Amino acid sequence: MNNEAEKPNFITSSLDFIVNWGRTNSLWPFPYGTACCAIEFMSTEVGRYDLSRIGSEYVRFTPRQSDVLLVSGTITYKQAPILQRMYEQMAEPKWVIAMGACASSGGFYDCYCTVPGIDHIIPVDVYIGGCPSRPEAFFDAMFDLQKKIKDESYMKMRTERVKEQWELIKAKTAEAKANAAAMAKSKIADIKDFAVEKEQKLIKKAQFWKE
Amino acid sequence: MIVLDPNGEKLNLMALNVGPTHPATHHCVRLLTALDGETIVAGVHEIGFMHRGFEKMAERGTWQQVIPYTDRLNYCSAMMNNIAFCRTVENMFGIEIPERNKVLRVIVNELSRINDHFICVAAAFQDLGGTTPFMYAFNPREEIMLIWEKLTGARLTNSFARIGGLYRDSYNGFEEDVLAACKSVEKALKDLHACLDRNRIFLDRTVGIGKISAERAISYGWTGPVLRATGVASDLRKDEPYYDYETYDWEVVVGTQGDANDRLQVRLAEIEESVKIVRQALKRLAPGPVDIVDPRIRVPAHQMAYQDMEGLIGRFKSVYEGIRVPQGEYYCGTECANGELGFTIIADGSGHPYRIKARSPSFAHVSAFAEMVEGLTLSDSMAILPGLNMIAGELDR
Amino acid sequence: MESVEKIVSLLEEKFGAQRESLAKWDACVVIAKENLHAAVKFLKNDAPAKMEMLLDAAGIDYLTYPNHEGPRFAVSYAFKSMSTVGARVRLKVLVSEADLKVPTLTDLYASANWLEREVFDQFGILFEGHPDLRRILNHCEFVGHPLRKDYPAQKRQWLSTSDYLVPELEKRLESKGYKVIERSEEINPVDEEFLEGSRK
Repeated sequence: MNNEAEKPNFITSSLDFIVNWGRTNSLWPFPYGTACCAIEFMSTEVGRYDLSRIGSEYVRFTPRQSDVLLVSGTITYKQAPILQRMYEQMAEPKWVIAMGACASSGGFYDCYCTVPGIDHIIPVDVYIGGCPSRPEAFFDAMFDLQKKIKDESYMKMRTERVKEQWELIKAKTAEAKANAAAMAKSKIADIKDFAVEKEQKLIKKAQFWKE
Repeated sequence: MIVLDPNGEKLNLMALNVGPTHPATHHCVRLLTALDGETIVAGVHEIGFMHRGFEKMAERGTWQQVIPYTDRLNYCSAMMNNIAFCRTVENMFGIEIPERNKVLRVIVNELSRINDHFICVAAAFQDLGGTTPFMYAFNPREEIMLIWEKLTGARLTNSFARIGGLYRDSYNGFEEDVLAACKSVEKALKDLHACLDRNRIFLDRTVGIGKISAERAISYGWTGPVLRATGVASDLRKDEPYYDYETYDWEVVVGTQGDANDRLQVRLAEIEESVKIVRQALKRLAPGPVDIVDPRIRVPAHQMAYQDMEGLIGRFKSVYEGIRVPQGEYYCGTECANGELGFTIIADGSGHPYRIKARSPSFAHVSAFAEMVEGLTLSDSMAILPGLNMIAGELDR
Repeated sequence: MESVEKIVSLLEEKFGAQRESLAKWDACVVIAKENLHAAVKFLKNDAPAKMEMLLDAAGIDYLTYPNHEGPRFAVSYAFKSMSTVGARVRLKVLVSEADLKVPTLTDLYASANWLEREVFDQFGILFEGHPDLRRILNHCEFVGHPLRKDYPAQKRQWLSTSDYLVPELEKRLESKGYKVIERSEEINPVDEEFLEGSRK
């Protein structure tokens, strides 16, 4: 039983294309907006800039239904465990954008209470500069993220994700096989014994009747 | 948890945590409630999720370097905070700023106030589930942002005011742009009122919700539109006028009930008053200097620095050493969009501030939140919060 | 302003207050700790311009202030009058490092609650009689008081988990006349099993 998906072939690559096409064009952001950048994100959403144009139609305020965690604003040490929890709650596949100087590096708050960049807590895909970053910069980051997603392989990611599970299944199968073989062996031995016994009994019977 | 209520009856309460990642709490307030059904029996709230050390950072730079930090106090109306801080320091120097500067500051102040109130009302609608007014309110806001871009180069955190002056004079065509913005503000107000005034769902959710008496509000230290919504006509622009606010023709807007609806209506009415002030101020905008001429306070202009030895020295000294504010301590409050923004400044006579304490209006408003929500339902609590207009940067500083 | 001058002279007479020489631009008096509560009560109820609003309480650390003599800390209270428009007074209490206690004003002003918590958080000044003196801006695992001049600005402190507010909620319930019989099932937020559950 080999894992067929590990070897790329015609079918998987076109599946990748379809999946990535779907993903790039419906990135639902989860705005984790704490400070000034959140106001700029609001501007990005509405009117003049209109984030819906690139498929980020819905802004979901729940981590369960969103694809992109959008950290806009300073993250303090008090906020850090909460951000980490939010990231963990998001379903795969998930991406993170650090919007603005504060989220990327702590910005000009080099202080006892601010985390110097959210990459100390969670992995980040795209960083945006600016304090706060302009809506245009935000669009640029979204395009970068889309490019990044287009290069990803769905099946590869899937095999990586289920690797552990797959190995577990393999081990279990092997164990079950060994068990079954052992059982069969013992059964065969039993049957052999039984047959020998039966034969001898029959021989005895035959001898009896002969006599 | 199982409790006995004051009448001796057994109740089964549920402890439910709301925020800080709840969309209406803006990631900066956490509310832990004890719920009986859907009614909040008791609540405690916690802040500090955005505490980024404004006061500690302000002590580390020169006086001019504090200005960008004040931008990020109330980032919805950033320039008002600049102006409030600069006004405090100017009072300590005892200087009078030029006439054109005063008028420009009034225009910038009032446009910022309009911006701030629009964001507050838009967010309140959004949190109650109405997306349309959110879009309406952002249209004129974007227009004002375009003016900011032309005027200061930045969209949101502008750092426009300087101690004893402004970053630069206004550009050609500023007046026309502001007038056009005023027109679209009025149009948006019309649209917003159409959405708000007779909207059954909105009225049901806000009228009579989160009432607070004037005495209690004063005891909590409330200022600004939320205090005026309870019926107290207290506005620093009228009470302790600065920048000739008393000579403009406008009125202090006062609410009647002090409920969630009043707090939003007062803001919308204040936008109208601000538009009035802006229109009058535009007429007063006469040509003249915007900066005071004193190299010890205001950095000399570039022309001076390139042609004049004194100017060069003044520029060098004020950048490297910072301006020297006279030794002493002072508290001065300025009417900002949310209420009284005050700075307690301790100066030791050097080029660096010794201590700056910001008195933020949001801090006082939010401190009453837990008391206000007790006895209401959970959904009501989220209708109250946006009306208080807590801005995380200002709340936790 | 006349009424403010009157208040200052009354405070000097009644409570032995002294004008702060450093405050050149507004009215500020230094008052002894013992007289603070009585003086504020007088300001709120009987003064010529009643100070109905406590605007601000600012802690000050004079550790590196040039030529400073006397106690290290101070708390500056800013008051504002609503009935007499434009009347403001500041009171200042000096607090020595050996005795960091200051009487609370929470029974007079509702705003004093959070303001005093903030001063405690940032400077470690203890307010006697405060109902709930906890940290407010910094997290619960923070050690030290960051706005003191001897706290390095870049000394960072990580937090492992959010504050556990249930005891405060129970306190609040009890202050409203409720009696907690059975506590809710306690979840320790750092519990491995609990975290695992959220990851799944």
